[in-house]
Amino acid sequence: MATIETQLMLSVGLIEKDANGDTLWVWCYPSVDSNLRQVLLSKCCLTQQGRDFHTFVFGQFCGTWYYITTVEVQESTPLKKVTHFSIALTAKDFNPEKYAALSRILCRMYIKHGSPVKMMEAYLTVLIKGICQSDENGSFLIKDYDVRKAYLAGSIKDVVSQFGMETIILYTAVMLKKRIVVHHPRIEALLEFTRVLPALSWHRKDWSILHPYVDLNDTEVEDLQKCPGYIAGFVEPEVVNRPELFDVYVNLPDSVIKVSQNAKEAMSMGKLHKEVGHLIVQSSEDPEKSDSQVIKDLSLKTKDILANLVALAETCEDSKITLEGLKKHHFPAATENFLFHLAAAEQLLRI
Amino acid sequence: MEEVDKILIHALKQIGTDVSEEISSINQFSSELIVKAVVRCIQVINPGLGSPLPSSLPPAMSARFRVGMSLAQACQELGYKGEIGYQTFLYSSELEIRSLLMFLVEKLPRESSEASDQPTGKSVVLQRAIAAAIKAQLSVPWLPMNCRLPLHTETQSAGPLHSFHTLPLSLPYSSTGLGDKYEKEEKEYQRDFLLPVTAQISHQPSMVASILEHHTTVLSAVQQWDNEWNSQGLLSRLTPQEYRARKMARLRKRIKEQLRSNAHPSPEGSFRSSHSSNDLSEVLQMFKSPSSSDHILTKGTHFTHTQKFTFEQEPAAVTSPVPTGRQSDGDVQQRQQAEIESLQQQLQQLCTEIEQLTTDMKHMSVTHTQVLNEIKQKELMNKETEDKIQVKKKTLDFLPDSDNSLQKLQAQVEASAARLVNLASQWEKHRAPLIEEHRRLKEKCSNQELESSRKLSEIKSMQEKIRVATEEARKKEDIHKQLVTQLENLPKDVSRSAYTQRILEIVSNIKKQKEEINKILSDTRELQKEINSLTGKLDRTFAVTDELVFKDAKKDESVRKSYKYLAALHDNCNQLIQTIEETGTILREIRDLEEQIETENSNKTVANLERILEDYKAIRQENSVLAAKIKEG
Repeated sequence: MATIETQLMLSVGLIEKDANGDTLWVWCYPSVDSNLRQVLLSKCCLTQQGRDFHTFVFGQFCGTWYYITTVEVQESTPLKKVTHFSIALTAKDFNPEKYAALSRILCRMYIKHGSPVKMMEAYLTVLIKGICQSDENGSFLIKDYDVRKAYLAGSIKDVVSQFGMETIILYTAVMLKKRIVVHHPRIEALLEFTRVLPALSWHRKDWSILHPYVDLNDTEVEDLQKCPGYIAGFVEPEVVNRPELFDVYVNLPDSVIKVSQNAKEAMSMGKLHKEVGHLIVQSSEDPEKSDSQVIKDLSLKTKDILANLVALAETCEDSKITLEGLKKHHFPAATENFLFHLAAAEQLLRI
Repeated sequence: MEEVDKILIHALKQIGTDVSEEISSINQFSSELIVKAVVRCIQVINPGLGSPLPSSLPPAMSARFRVGMSLAQACQELGYKGEIGYQTFLYSSELEIRSLLMFLVEKLPRESSEASDQPTGKSVVLQRAIAAAIKAQLSVPWLPMNCRLPLHTETQSAGPLHSFHTLPLSLPYSSTGLGDKYEKEEKEYQRDFLLPVTAQISHQPSMVASILEHHTTVLSAVQQWDNEWNSQGLLSRLTPQEYRARKMARLRKRIKEQLRSNAHPSPEGSFRSSHSSNDLSEVLQMFKSPSSSDHILTKGTHFTHTQKFTFEQEPAAVTSPVPTGRQSDGDVQQRQQAEIESLQQQLQQLCTEIEQLTTDMKHMSVTHTQVLNEIKQKELMNKETEDKIQVKKKTLDFLPDSDNSLQKLQAQVEASAARLVNLASQWEKHRAPLIEEHRRLKEKCSNQELESSRKLSEIKSMQEKIRVATEEARKKEDIHKQLVTQLENLPKDVSRSAYTQRILEIVSNIKKQKEEINKILSDTRELQKEINSLTGKLDRTFAVTDELVFKDAKKDESVRKSYKYLAALHDNCNQLIQTIEETGTILREIRDLEEQIETENSNKTVANLERILEDYKAIRQENSVLAAKIKEG
């Protein structure tokens, strides 16, 4: 429903960088609390000196998704003394394309009029009616941006082409709700890569485990650790020195996946994993198949495994699995381990 | 010439020649005096050469002759290049004597001035005095106690020796380096009660040491503060008090951090043989109150220091004491066996327990994650449902009159939207000028910072200049003092300024003369050129005229006559010119001859000849006397 969708939008904020080199949070509607404001200021690429210019970044903090679009101001605008500005939108849902389009419209309005009032009008129209007139090509309709499209926008084929068979490690980690940390010095690459990982467990369609842009400071790390399992992206290479933060560490530029010691036992893989791995690799190498089809294939296989698990659960009392129950079936050790942990992840385990 | 003579006489007097006061120029020197002076010079210059020479002229003629020859030879050995022989001494001429004496005085060895080149500052002078005193004391031989004179007791007994021991002093001006104001009570105390420094120290010999130390501390503190303030303090743009406060806070923080990191025991420290980790933490651990777990742990660590520590297999039971006692072997063996068995059983039990516990733990952790997940999910769902309930409740209220309420709702929504936009524009009216103001002030601030940093660099350069200038001033003062002392030490009898003045006068005179000579030379050259050109012109003109007239002379009688006259004129004029030239040459010769006469006149040739004749007669007489003596005996 359009109304529920618009209730997802939380706030819009404006950050400006002026000719003195100061970056200031100059305006927001309705309000943004100070923690989130700090985080947004730090994520916006205008604050740090040596940072490159990122047009669009997004991330999650305290259950809120934020989308920041940065624009450089050209000479002939009503905005004097402002060299760059960013618009920060916060919302409850994950939909980068939608909010990117909206911010572009808002940016253009701000540049044209030099005052956030017009911007706010547009924002309110979107909030109330779900539609907004844009100067250029037509209007912005919320309902054009379906959340499924956002989920499927990432490219699973790129992931498989980079890691090959090792994608199965990522699959296992996501299925077992482990903590994955990805590192890449460039934020855009990080965002691209991490947004597709939750699709490996398509049956859950849970993108709240995704924290694509985290910095190594206390506030954000604390917030990250509130989730038991997550996919987190870090730009700083020092994150490899924080083994308490991850079970699986992915070094994107070097294409290396490392499983940390204490998770090795839970992530042991066997024949089942090999099967799934082959399936993934074959599926992606097929040039006829699109990304969404690959994901579909994978989800079918996952559904099979889960169906088996549920069947196993049925055989035990109160349809909950126990370790003894699993042992009765004499699976090979790795598969048994995997099923045990998967049952915990799917909440099929007897407590 | 008088100055030269004065200098020579003075120098001769200095080396010890007995020159009486009336003699003020060289031509007043008698032969004896000449000989005495030359002998003395040679003795000073080269004692080896000078020793066989007699110091005065003997009366006998032949002896005199011999002395003259040997003196001449000695002078030649010394390197005198001019013509010298016995006649120089016996039948002297002023010029020769002057040049000889000048040569000898030049050769006199110079006195070396004491270290006039090194710059002597006050401290160097003091150090030299100390070195001289110590040398003198060291040169005095050490005498045993009984033989010591009072002179020696000061330097050779152990009494005056003290070690360098300082005691704290309290001085009114030194407690704070920045000249802060004192409180009234402090001033009172300093005025009425504070003892003078000499009374503050009970151990008298340490007084000097204490004063020195106190003074050095204050001086170095002030210098250090100056250095730091000039280099970093000014840069930080704080007042001195603020700068100090900040520095103190920074140092305190660092100290705290250091203490904290050293006192905090590393978590693995108790399980590894910690040589590298701090002894402090080990000591602290030893002081911990022995609760039961700690007791076991510490016992365990003692144990582990002697064996490799493997986590799973060291039960506490191993630390139970093994009985030691000398009993019969068989008994001991049996008992030991029994113990080993019981211990092994215990070991097995504990192993199984541990395994059980580990599996339980694993299970627990997995279920724990599952439960956490469930909780989280449920919470989220709760929140969502709550929100949905809120919305549905509100819509429920509106449901009875749906159309109307819908319309009303829409109208309200639009109204609130409009109001919000209105508020936003009002806020914008307030916000924009504030942001402008903020930016403007920031710009101003950064401009001021630029200004102040520029001024700071100027200050720095000024300070450099001041420093350099003070150094130079100090150096120049030192040199000035040193030169003044040198000047005072110089002998006052010879006035150098007169000499220098004279020399400068002579130099300027010579310069003038040179100029005039140059002028005259150039004039002469000009004249010569003119003469040449005129002669040439004359010749040419005459040749032309000659031809011209001669050509006509063949025809005309009067022309022939004029031709003859012309020839005669030419000859006569030539003669005139020749005569003039001869006159000039003769005048030059006259001048030269006059000069020669003068030089010969000064040679006193006549007087010398008479003397030579007399001496010759005296020698002949001596010869005859000697011959007669030989004949007799």
